[in-house]
Amino acid sequence: MNRQVVCLALAILPLAAAEDARQIVEESQRRGRADSQRYEGSLEVVSANNKVSKKRWESDRLGAYGNSKAIIRFTEPAEVKGVALLVVNHPDRSSDQWMWTPAIGRDRRIAQQDRSTRFFGTDFSFEDLEERDVNQFDYSLQGEEPIDSAACWRIESKPRQGKSSQYTSSRVWIRKDNYVPVQYENYVKDKLVRRLVEKDIQNVQGIWTARLLEMTDLGRKSRTILKLENVRYNVPMKDDDFTVQALRRQM
Amino acid sequence: MKRRFLGAGFWLLGLAAAGWGQSFTQRGFLETDFIGYPQTAPNDSGQAIGEALFRYEAFDKLNADWQFAGGIDARADTHEQTDRAWELSWDDRQTRRPSFEVRQLNATYAKKKLTLVLGKQFIRWGKADILNPTDRFAPQDYLSVVDSDFLAVTAVRATYGGQSNTIDLVWEPLFTPSRIPLLDQRWSNVPPGIALTQLPSSYPGGSQIGARWNHIGKVAEYSLSFYDGHNTLPLFNFQEPQASTVDIARYYPQMRMYGADAAIPLHGITLKTEAAYFTSTTRTEDEYALYVVQLERQAGEWFFIGGYAGQVVTEHRSLFDFAPDRGLTSAFLGRAGYTIDTNRGVALETAVRQNGKGEWAKLEYSEAFGAHWRATAAFTLIRGDESDFLGQYRRNSHAMLALRYSF
Repeated sequence: MNRQVVCLALAILPLAAAEDARQIVEESQRRGRADSQRYEGSLEVVSANNKVSKKRWESDRLGAYGNSKAIIRFTEPAEVKGVALLVVNHPDRSSDQWMWTPAIGRDRRIAQQDRSTRFFGTDFSFEDLEERDVNQFDYSLQGEEPIDSAACWRIESKPRQGKSSQYTSSRVWIRKDNYVPVQYENYVKDKLVRRLVEKDIQNVQGIWTARLLEMTDLGRKSRTILKLENVRYNVPMKDDDFTVQALRRQM
Repeated sequence: MKRRFLGAGFWLLGLAAAGWGQSFTQRGFLETDFIGYPQTAPNDSGQAIGEALFRYEAFDKLNADWQFAGGIDARADTHEQTDRAWELSWDDRQTRRPSFEVRQLNATYAKKKLTLVLGKQFIRWGKADILNPTDRFAPQDYLSVVDSDFLAVTAVRATYGGQSNTIDLVWEPLFTPSRIPLLDQRWSNVPPGIALTQLPSSYPGGSQIGARWNHIGKVAEYSLSFYDGHNTLPLFNFQEPQASTVDIARYYPQMRMYGADAAIPLHGITLKTEAAYFTSTTRTEDEYALYVVQLERQAGEWFFIGGYAGQVVTEHRSLFDFAPDRGLTSAFLGRAGYTIDTNRGVALETAVRQNGKGEWAKLEYSEAFGAHWRATAAFTLIRGDESDFLGQYRRNSHAMLALRYSF
């Protein structure tokens, strides 16, 4: 019996060692996969001089990594109520994004080169709101490093040629026990510009979900805390509700 | 009939609000503005104006297919730009702004690739930012020419298509004109010593129709559009019943438009262009083309838009018109903005005529306080020659302070 265990361990060890960064990221994405996701986001934007402004949005996402579509619609504060962003992710290229501003009755496509701009006064850039398809990046395992006492893999990703990104490279920490990403660091050349920390990880309908995201803009020294409320997966949604045409009829 | 329709619409909204719908949302604001003009105008000695606007909009999603939208504006001012009569306006045909106005009231049916909107609604076409030659279902309130605001139209709009290709068909049975400057106020620029009397306007019967095909490609977006109806901007007939007295009547020429627009991301910058050619069966209306070419870029906390608007007149026939869309052509246009922080921002808009005879620039600072309040301070500078569309308003440079409570 003991010999069998030893043999099994010896068989698995090289396999585990061979588990490369890309496989870890793929497994992480596989475990977070759902047909759809809906949540209400509560945001606190804390400026460098500790001024706090609060916002709320509702988010719907249809599909999973690489081929998903999402609509984020502000519900507070009152002056931006109805402002919405449509993100259409593609497996082979950067996402398409359109913003709807009801006050002027116009939608506007967010051009690639404008994706480094902050999204409506938060510390998330437009690019941060798109999903990272595994095929658009090269990954390398940098080592292991615990975050909040949880063992994590530290993986570096670099955009492949043809993938447009404001970031030269990113580092992601993925927990070994449940494959949940708990921290991202985004670099422009060698300078760390944004850090995203994911906390309050709970199992929602069988999917480990970070309910608190804190994005820090290190250049501006400001941070945005996003709390995910009423998270639901596999909510019935229609593909036709994720088009520019549908964006315009958002209330 | 009109009143019954209005009543039915608000009854539906009320019913929806009472809990019939899947979701009910509302928004609105109360804004008070103070506008100060350093100079008097020959026909208007007023230099300080106060305005108040209350806007309320409600939306209800009755079920997966149907949703309703309604909105109302209530206004008051100190300069008689707003009607003193307490009447609810639907068609926006008053020369002054109505004290109460149905801003929008419409029902939307959406099923698969079809979206049908019926009722009073805003329809915006085109992709350019400062001037949109193809935006023909978008009359505007030009009482203060350089601070215009869009008016809704009564129409049926059917949009069919998915993400890549959409066809937009519009039928507007009730003509909504643009609101032009009042004859006894500074933006009409009437020379001193002439008494003008405005005769009742002649509004066109019949319908306005339009179609637009829009394509969203991997790289670029472009569209073709067609409009057949009337210009929302008037021509004028003048009569002189007595010396130094002139009667003036507005009429709205027939217009047909063939238009196109495109947005093309280039390396580091986005090119947007929009052009339209206008013909008319009205013998006193010009035939002409308008075009806009602009570049835009957002970088960090900055955004920049800069471009040129041009005009080619193929047949000149009109003598007296009011055409701010054409007045902004043969000009370099620009807009820039900087977000200071999450609550504060500054913006600059400008138009400079190619011949140097007219310039307009507006500098604006805006700051939010808490979740509901926003204060805005702006200064508009207008310079130029009396013969120029912009230059004629050279005595109308002004400062504005606005305080808005949003809910």
